[in-house]
Amino acid sequence: MGMFDALSISSTGMSAERLRMDVIAENLANAETTRTPEGGPYRRQEVVLEQASPTFGEVLGGVRVAGIVSDTSPPRRVYDPGHPDADKQGYVTLPNVNPVNEMVDLITAQRGYEANVTAMSAAKQMFTKTLDVLH
Amino acid sequence: MELFDTTMVGLERAMSGAQLRQQVLANNLANANTPNFKRSDVDFHAALANAFDSGSASPASLNATKFSIQTDTSSVMQADGNNVDVDTEMANLSENSLDYQSLTSVLASRVKILQTAMGTGGAS
Repeated sequence: MGMFDALSISSTGMSAERLRMDVIAENLANAETTRTPEGGPYRRQEVVLEQASPTFGEVLGGVRVAGIVSDTSPPRRVYDPGHPDADKQGYVTLPNVNPVNEMVDLITAQRGYEANVTAMSAAKQMFTKTLDVLH
Repeated sequence: MELFDTTMVGLERAMSGAQLRQQVLANNLANANTPNFKRSDVDFHAALANAFDSGSASPASLNATKFSIQTDTSSVMQADGNNVDVDTEMANLSENSLDYQSLTSVLASRVKILQTAMGTGGAS
């Protein structure tokens, strides 16, 4: 059992939550994007997290990102005949991004990040206390 | 007084237990948003209390105490099958931190007594 494993576990959590925030920012930035290299509107991206298996000598591994996947829910259709990407009926296909959902996810990710920071501070405090024993 | 008597070894084991618990709680928080994750915990107090209550507690028997990580499947689940409650984990984290601090204070005073006996500081 390494002494500093608690710090690395918390750091995996912080990286994972930060990646979630990055992807949410990407989703919000592209909430109205109708053109992508793959064609069609932007598709909402989502981070998939999984429990990391501990490496040699570790007890627990924290969390790891299994991948970033596209949300397959149907896109929004909005009537806007003046839009250059509108179809013959005058409807524009917009990304399946709901800014309200993204904001809620953003808060969850932010709170998750803070929780990991708190755990890391607690671990640091414990190590400092250990060093104080010999003072 | 032996240098490494049951109290000294007991303190050391309890501190290792608290460090392990810190890791387990950090792991719970890191996985607070992982679908189907189940939280775990370590009851190192119970393991040590058992070792002390056995009536034949010795430094060697205390040293052999093992702490096991238990997965908790009893608490309330969220829709994604995860059962981590961040508030509970925070409370556990503070509790564990204070536990550890009290253990180190006791250990520090014991070290100070030894230092005084050896005449290498302590009284300063």
